[in-house]
Amino acid sequence: MSASADTMTPAARGMAADRPGITRRIPNLRVGTSGYAYPEWVTAGFYPTSTPSEKMLPLYARRFGVTELNFTWYQMPKAPAMVRMRERVPEAFGFAVKLTRTLTHEIDPHGWRGQMTRYRDGIAPLVQSAQLLAVLVQLPPSFRRRAPQRRYLAELLDELADLPVAVEFRHSSWATDRVFAELERRRVTLVAVDTPALPGLFPRLDVVTNPDLFYLRFHGRNARGWRSGNMQQQFDYDYTDAELAEWLPAIETMASAAQSGLLFFNNHVRAQAPKNAEQLTAQLGLGGG
Amino acid sequence: MRSIIHINIADFAVAVERVVDRSLTDRPVIIAPEGAARAAVYDMSEEAYQAGVRKGMPLRRARRLAPGACILAPHPDRYERAMADVFKQALPYSPLIEPGEDDGHLFVDVTGTSRLFGPPVDVAWRLRREMRRRLDLSPIWSLAANKLTAKVASRLVKPLGELQVAAGEEAAFLAPLPIWLFPGIERADLLSLRDFNFTAAAEVTALTNDQLTVILGARASFVRDTLKGTDETPVLPAGHRPPRIALGHEFGTDTNDTAVIEGALFNLVEAAGRRLRRARRAAGRLAVRVTYADSRRRSRQAAARPATANDITLFETARRALHLALSRRVRLRHLQLTCAGLVHPPAQRPLFTADREALDRREALIGSLDTIRGRFGREAVRFGRGLAA
Repeated sequence: MSASADTMTPAARGMAADRPGITRRIPNLRVGTSGYAYPEWVTAGFYPTSTPSEKMLPLYARRFGVTELNFTWYQMPKAPAMVRMRERVPEAFGFAVKLTRTLTHEIDPHGWRGQMTRYRDGIAPLVQSAQLLAVLVQLPPSFRRRAPQRRYLAELLDELADLPVAVEFRHSSWATDRVFAELERRRVTLVAVDTPALPGLFPRLDVVTNPDLFYLRFHGRNARGWRSGNMQQQFDYDYTDAELAEWLPAIETMASAAQSGLLFFNNHVRAQAPKNAEQLTAQLGLGGG
Repeated sequence: MRSIIHINIADFAVAVERVVDRSLTDRPVIIAPEGAARAAVYDMSEEAYQAGVRKGMPLRRARRLAPGACILAPHPDRYERAMADVFKQALPYSPLIEPGEDDGHLFVDVTGTSRLFGPPVDVAWRLRREMRRRLDLSPIWSLAANKLTAKVASRLVKPLGELQVAAGEEAAFLAPLPIWLFPGIERADLLSLRDFNFTAAAEVTALTNDQLTVILGARASFVRDTLKGTDETPVLPAGHRPPRIALGHEFGTDTNDTAVIEGALFNLVEAAGRRLRRARRAAGRLAVRVTYADSRRRSRQAAARPATANDITLFETARRALHLALSRRVRLRHLQLTCAGLVHPPAQRPLFTADREALDRREALIGSLDTIRGRFGREAVRFGRGLAA
């Protein structure tokens, strides 16, 4: 990993110092994709021809045990829709649910607590069925480590205190020991990311801040498309086996420091995400998602 | 499965005026031609709406309901330009973009574009972001499998917000919604259904066709399809609107005198007929919209079979539509005639001699009138029926 030792917590430094490689089967580890209802996954062959959107989740759940719901970033989750989703998957299937953009990217300083109430109401069915594995708080690159942003993030995490929360930073200013220590104190997961090596982006780290959960997102390494403003270019990347294998020691290290782990592929273009997810699943020796 | 985005800039005229004049933000605004003797409200802000102001309402009444409102004259040219800008934002994403009539509505069909532009929901969000950034307009967006469901979704979140109706979720989404939210459902339908205490879509769609026909008559099938979210109508290609001719007549004095109303309709038919014949087209469908003195409107249409451009036949069809539309004894303020379903005049002539001769006589008469008017002007010769208006 490209993490420098001085950016890691003491615990993380200890893990990074001793990386044994994959030597044992990792329990409580789930691999999935960020979103599952992409029409282009039909033409790419992941779903059978003519699969209607409403049939995608049950088909997806046959191959993976977890998914990350991205549509909740665009619009507030609604409880009835969550109930219907829950009914389409096995009981053991889990969801990570992205926090809505009005709480991360388009924040109304006066109305965000009301938005939070609506969000919590929306995901309540998944909490009740114990299928909510994480609330993903993905913050934009413009969310830099400054006093107002730090204050807002602290208040946001207070509001989410009773839920499993994972925070993904997109700006490198957050990659400091003080941030990690505060996340550790709150038992909030720092999301590890695989992104193109571009200046300003949050670096690839294997820091574990929550002994309950570690969380890793593979965004692809398309440096040219990353800042294009077009998701089809930003997340158009196909990991090689060797690139995925680079992560194996770090995954084992993180797995040894946390009770469970979630690994998601966000390179959805042309169904590269499920393909890479299955490759990594095989490399980890996990028998299916 | 289609992916239709509906963009809706709520209270469009007010939104545009607020871009021009920032001081109007958060103030109740009513758009109406203030100088006119019987000025009616053209559009209003959410604040004025909450105070009870409605489109088409007499301005005097609107002023009473929202006494502090800022009254502005309409600027149709400004709204047209703003609509063109809104349209331009959607152009990169699809060739199928269907705008409303300078009213801040836009349908964009992004079916099959996800390999180029990403998931439809992301396109919808980006459209909104660009409209906010470049035009300072903040639209509602919705995403659904057809235009009807997308429009219902927008109405549900109005005046602000967004809503994606996921594929396969349409029935569950529409079922609990109030009937009045659905486009195409008329006041008469609502009243008939209310008599039976039906207020939600699912209550009506649970009825059999026969049961619903008892309540709504010939409208049963349309209402049922609408409440079930059935809509196969395509999003029209950018820049393409179905050809039609629309003409209106404002009565100098509100009237419910049938002779006067039919006279006005006949004049509209004559004008429409001239334009049809000049364009070498025939109309297959005539719609009449009446606006009552209390601003309520009702539209009905009738089919012309075969399509025609002959004034006499056009009038017979339009008159049928008029009498379907006239359901109240209240006086009329405005009459609109729309000729749609325009086709090249049918070449096939009637089978029976008597019909053929009658048609020939009508064609010859209108042909002669056109010749006279061509030489001596439009007013040179007129039907007596039109003089009553």
